[in-house]
Amino acid sequence: MNTTQGTGAGSARPAHPVRVVIVDDHAIFRSGLKADLDPGIQVVGEAATVEQAIAVIAQQRPDVVLLDVHLPGGLGGGGREVIAGSAALLSSTRFLALSVSDAAEDVVAVIRAGARGYVTKTISGAEITDAVFRVAGGDAVFSPRLAGFVLDAFGTAPADIADDELDKLSARELEVMRLIARGYSYKEVAKELFISIKTVETHVSAVLRKLQLSSRHELTKWAAERRLL
Amino acid sequence: MTTLPARPPLARSSDRVIAGVCSGLAAHLGWPVKNVRLGMVLASFAGGAGLVFYAWLWVMVPTADEAARRNARRPASPIAPAVSQPAQEAAAAADAGSPAGAPGPVPEDQGGAPVPPWFRARGMRYGKEILLGCGLLLVAGIMIAQLLGVDVSLGTLIPAAAVLGGASIAWMQLDETRRAGLVDKTKADQAGGWGRLAAGLALVVAGVLVMVSGSGSWEQTWLALLASVAVLGGVVLVLLPWALKFWRDLEAERAGRIRETERAEIAAHLHDSVLQTLALIQRRAGNEHDVVRLARAQERELRGWLFQDSGRESGQLSDRIKAVAGEVEDLLGNAVEVVTVGDAVMTEAHEALVQASREAMLNASRHGGGTVSVYLEASDGQAEIFIKDRGPGFELGDVPADRLGIRESIIGRMKRHGGSAAILSTGDGTEVRLRLPAAAEHAEGKS
Repeated sequence: MNTTQGTGAGSARPAHPVRVVIVDDHAIFRSGLKADLDPGIQVVGEAATVEQAIAVIAQQRPDVVLLDVHLPGGLGGGGREVIAGSAALLSSTRFLALSVSDAAEDVVAVIRAGARGYVTKTISGAEITDAVFRVAGGDAVFSPRLAGFVLDAFGTAPADIADDELDKLSARELEVMRLIARGYSYKEVAKELFISIKTVETHVSAVLRKLQLSSRHELTKWAAERRLL
Repeated sequence: MTTLPARPPLARSSDRVIAGVCSGLAAHLGWPVKNVRLGMVLASFAGGAGLVFYAWLWVMVPTADEAARRNARRPASPIAPAVSQPAQEAAAAADAGSPAGAPGPVPEDQGGAPVPPWFRARGMRYGKEILLGCGLLLVAGIMIAQLLGVDVSLGTLIPAAAVLGGASIAWMQLDETRRAGLVDKTKADQAGGWGRLAAGLALVVAGVLVMVSGSGSWEQTWLALLASVAVLGGVVLVLLPWALKFWRDLEAERAGRIRETERAEIAAHLHDSVLQTLALIQRRAGNEHDVVRLARAQERELRGWLFQDSGRESGQLSDRIKAVAGEVEDLLGNAVEVVTVGDAVMTEAHEALVQASREAMLNASRHGGGTVSVYLEASDGQAEIFIKDRGPGFELGDVPADRLGIRESIIGRMKRHGGSAAILSTGDGTEVRLRLPAAAEHAEGKS
């Protein structure tokens, strides 16, 4: 139902199938997702709990892990714990968070743990396929809601000085985030701002990096205060 | 009212001289407080009957706060009708209707009859001083009596006074801790409470010791103290495990009861909303559109219930936009995704903004035929709303002049309230941009 994630927007399908592990505690959702995914995506494993997920990921070393934010098992940390448990593989395996919970703290926590993006579970098969390809290609995937979170957390005023400031977004990054929050696909963002899709992807990746690395203590506080948006 | 006037439940009022028994009783019986107090004092002279009665009520009758809490804890009936949406929506609408209306002054004490403030203030401020004065007068009277040659046995009076004083200090503390359960007290207060409890205990023990040993001689008192401490120690040793076990059972039972109440509430809600929707979905399984619409509506309702922050005030712009998006979703069946950044308190101009965006959402959902993206960004400076669909698009010039939807309801309305509206339509979709500067709000607020 989510119309973004750059439908058909230049995320070239890789030559070889993308190997994916699906981690979700609902078998119905896993099988539904598997049926929806593009044939270019090869599901090599499934897991329902934190322990299973860490084991399957270590054994299969997939390109992308579709990871539910809320998972039983482990120490109760859910998706965040799976990413932490697979930290050694983060360079080759990318995590895409899936969630029904819109609670900002959950989403921000899993992104800060190292996920490359976040999409809601109501997303259509074509869109999730696109998101998987995008993440596999090293890009970040922002849903409008995640872009909204970022804008709310970092504030809507641009940074005064350099782009390298971790606690603020640059004017360009703000523009990109705003357009994504408004429901624009990457392609549409590129068209609107007269830049290439690659540049949009660079900006989004930069925002993701700031989201992950910013030590801004308000970020955590903010996420805890906003139970949902 | 033709029925019997409902009596307020018997509860100790916060309008009190000692423990609020008299005013609570007066409220319950519908008598004037003064008469009740006078009666209580007079009855005290009848062999202390009034005192005993007062003490009994003090112990047995809960405070008004406690009574209120007890009522609130009562679990909802398992099939309470209309727990869910309509009531909430009505409340939201009522709130939104009077955004500027300040809530009426909240009465401080829930129980008891309305009392003139001066009287309550006097009761609170001077109650302790009056008690102290009475005590001093009593002491003075005894001393004068002794000077006049009346034989007063100080040996019994002083310990008795100590016992009474200590007990009342400790009991007052009990009352305090009862209230502390409602209002979060600081650690310092708690420490003071324990100090008072200990002081009361020490006074009582000392008084009892002196009374029992029958003399003021230290040697005997020490012996008695030692003996009683030894006995107490033995009793504690034997009973402690029992007491702990009972305490733990009590705690477990209380926790269980709270869980049970919560479960009943959740069951009631699920029954009223989710089960009904699931039944509807089963009956309409053939119609995909209806199923999606029902599922979306239920999801929205359930989310609202799960994550609703009861402490948060409603009447915020983002809440209104979300409510309107929900309406549009219910009406036309297409999903409306709302993302909000920042927030603002509703004003009259904001209401126009909400209505304009509602019109835009309706158009987007009707003609776009897919998911509608709504983005709200509000700050002190301005409020902006973007409504985007992915329909075939249209030319504003092609819209017949008699169709007022866009011209009047969106563009005209925004202009009248000092804002602006822009519509951008291409073959890939349409975006309506609404903007309301803060200056316009102020102008609107003055008019």
